[in-house]
Amino acid sequence: MILTTAVTRDWTQRRTAKRERLEAVRSLTSGRVLAAGRIRDALQALLRPGDRVALEGDNQKQADFLAEALAGCDPEVVHDLHLLISSISLREHLDVFERGVARRLDFSYAGPQSTRMAQLLADGKVDVGAIHTYVELYARMFVDLTPDVALLCAEQADRDGNLYTGPATEDTPTIAEAVAFHDGVVLVQVNELVDHVTRVDIPGDWVDLVVESPRPFALEPLFTRDPRHIGQVEILMAMLALRGVYERHGVTTLNHGIGYDTAAIELILPTYGEELGLRGKICKHWTLNPHPTLIPAIESGWVESVHCFGGEPGTERYVAARPDVFFTGRDGSLRSNRVLCQLAGQYAVDMFIGSSLQIDARANSSTVTEGRLAGFGGAPNMGHDPHGRRHASAAWLSLPTGEAPALRGRKLVVQITQTFRSGGTPAFVESLDAIQVGKDAGMPIPPIMIYGDDVSHVVTEEGVAYLYKATSLSERCEALAAIAGATPVGRDMTERRVEELRRDGLVALPEDLKVDVRRADRSLLAARGIEDLVAWSGGLYDPPAGFRTW
Amino acid sequence: MTSRTHDVYADWRALLDRASFIELGARARAVALLDTGTARELCGPFDRIESPWLEPQGVVPESDDGVIVVKGRLDGRPAVVIAVEQAFRGGGVGEVSGAKIAAALSLAAGDNRDGTPTAAILLLETGGVRLEEANLGLATVAEVCSALLELRPLQPVIGVIAGALGCFGGMSIAAGLCTRLIMTREGRLGLDGPQVIESEAGAAEFDASDHPLIWSIDGGTQRTGTALADTLVLDDVTAIRSAVIDAVAQGVPAEHRSQRLGELRAHLHAVDPADPPEPSGLAAAWATASPQEGDAQ
Repeated sequence: MILTTAVTRDWTQRRTAKRERLEAVRSLTSGRVLAAGRIRDALQALLRPGDRVALEGDNQKQADFLAEALAGCDPEVVHDLHLLISSISLREHLDVFERGVARRLDFSYAGPQSTRMAQLLADGKVDVGAIHTYVELYARMFVDLTPDVALLCAEQADRDGNLYTGPATEDTPTIAEAVAFHDGVVLVQVNELVDHVTRVDIPGDWVDLVVESPRPFALEPLFTRDPRHIGQVEILMAMLALRGVYERHGVTTLNHGIGYDTAAIELILPTYGEELGLRGKICKHWTLNPHPTLIPAIESGWVESVHCFGGEPGTERYVAARPDVFFTGRDGSLRSNRVLCQLAGQYAVDMFIGSSLQIDARANSSTVTEGRLAGFGGAPNMGHDPHGRRHASAAWLSLPTGEAPALRGRKLVVQITQTFRSGGTPAFVESLDAIQVGKDAGMPIPPIMIYGDDVSHVVTEEGVAYLYKATSLSERCEALAAIAGATPVGRDMTERRVEELRRDGLVALPEDLKVDVRRADRSLLAARGIEDLVAWSGGLYDPPAGFRTW
Repeated sequence: MTSRTHDVYADWRALLDRASFIELGARARAVALLDTGTARELCGPFDRIESPWLEPQGVVPESDDGVIVVKGRLDGRPAVVIAVEQAFRGGGVGEVSGAKIAAALSLAAGDNRDGTPTAAILLLETGGVRLEEANLGLATVAEVCSALLELRPLQPVIGVIAGALGCFGGMSIAAGLCTRLIMTREGRLGLDGPQVIESEAGAAEFDASDHPLIWSIDGGTQRTGTALADTLVLDDVTAIRSAVIDAVAQGVPAEHRSQRLGELRAHLHAVDPADPPEPSGLAAAWATASPQEGDAQ
């Protein structure tokens, strides 16, 4: 028997590299604190060509000071970085590529920069590894994409590096953990350096360097929808969803996507929902950011708990005053956590409902449209049936799935959309723009947001399609076509076939659900403007300036 | 008045229980102001008086051209309500809609002369002249102003700017000629709208996305605080109707705001355009501004 001789190997290369990096910035620091004026020098000393860098850009908060500094680095010194950014929201995120500081990119969402993203890709300025979903990107930080350096943001730090991330904790602890425990360097921009942080959201042990940013990090009120813009069609769809999905399946645990369609549902709970006697029977436990439009339902006693992915500007005082409902810290303010909320959304809630820009005949949907590489964000995480679930609930079991002896339920994945978007663009199309965009970008799989076979229900102003009941693909397509109106997908549907589908329970029209279309009116909204939301909150909600009309 | 409104905004329950006036379309607003059962629409949609200029430009016209004229009684007295529909072409006034406003005001003046005292209420949610009708729109706004001047010595012409669109452009001149102006805190009044100023002079001059800035200058609270409007009311059907009834009952003043030139000139002198006061300081600056020696009152 021959024993192979163990090769002498250095098992602490990452640790050594980390020590050297920190040594290189020693002259710019006092303890853990970096001087803001020297941030570019610090990054140039810290980073090495080819480094993998996690730059915190969430869908709401942005490490913008560090992003600017990175974009300003000398490409002679810092180049060919591999960036991991969950949400590409700032121009600096892409300036980094234009200037040659970074080369490779893995990301989840590029909403505001999606047009420029597509252009940079076409120009060969950026190599995209993959477009991920949120938790997927973070998961890879613990497997094959562990960052060498993390550039994060927080509200406060003390001199020991303890961080207070405030209501918008979002992704920060997850990225910090992946980097801190694998000998990467964690650098955090903070709004203020304090003697004692309000509460410890991330322990100082995980943090190597902090820098006081000259201005607070950017934070977008992404989840605020002004009820003023909700019209009759959204209200009709909300009524159909409430009767045809929420009530029918007894949905008590759920997540809502962003948009006016779901905001309308939130706003008719205290009116239409109350009238139907549904309070206490549906919509009790939520995984959801603090949507201002949920305030009336919370105040009317509908909501027992809400766990949040992130915060929402303006809701701080309101949330702090409702600790029985929201997850809050000892200091009273909201504690959010994107990964844990995504996990909860996958395994612990019975329903996801959200809007889409395009849906094809097989119910595949996407927000990627021609010339825009928007990515997915967290919708695919919420909008699928997680096969790892093993606990049952009445709603889950009401969608019987599988074959004996492996009979089980499934998650309700609901898409809600008007048949035509503004400007007369059909929401239902023969082929998703995403297919072509994926081809043009040379992607191995098309950027479909929610796969059609995961979708259980589709709601439009025409009615509800119960896709999970279909026994064949052609039946699924027909059920969808029956509520797709005069779009390319729906226009060839015959009245007779619709009758049959209604009889078989695959499609429900408003009259089948006892929804009186004439009542779809703004008077059903519990709040009709931002000022009503303030009133519902008893003055605790402080709408961001851009939403005030007084 | 201001303090009463403030109290109302602190009474959350009352605020939620109110019947919002802003929620209503122009026709419903006009009817809501008049005594129950007395409203009668003139030149309604079934008369199909449409703008001939829209269709050639690819715009679908509407059969009332976005202006609703309703006759009826207000607290028992004859009145005509003229309401601009903000949902149609941003409340832009064109040849036909402008003619409807001007004719309604002139007819009211005629009724007054014939012995039927008829007040007029203008519900102004308008961006001004309708761009598609350019000079015809401008001409018609002049006719509106002329008819308003014909009526206001005889009976009050009350302007209401409730929101959400506000009153801008040429029609803000008509608002300035009204006997009295009623606004909500959501309402806005200005000659040039925020976006017009921004596109002409840049975001540094006026940032049209800065809501606090816009409302601090054009908003109902500021306009009543600086006496460019008279009454600040809650966005509530009953409150606005009461304010309109009160405004009409006060009758025709000896002198209208637009005739008090000395006062207006003093206001202009009190502001240094190179170093303008903060919006919050304008009311105080104007309160101490007094007409100059020898100036006509």
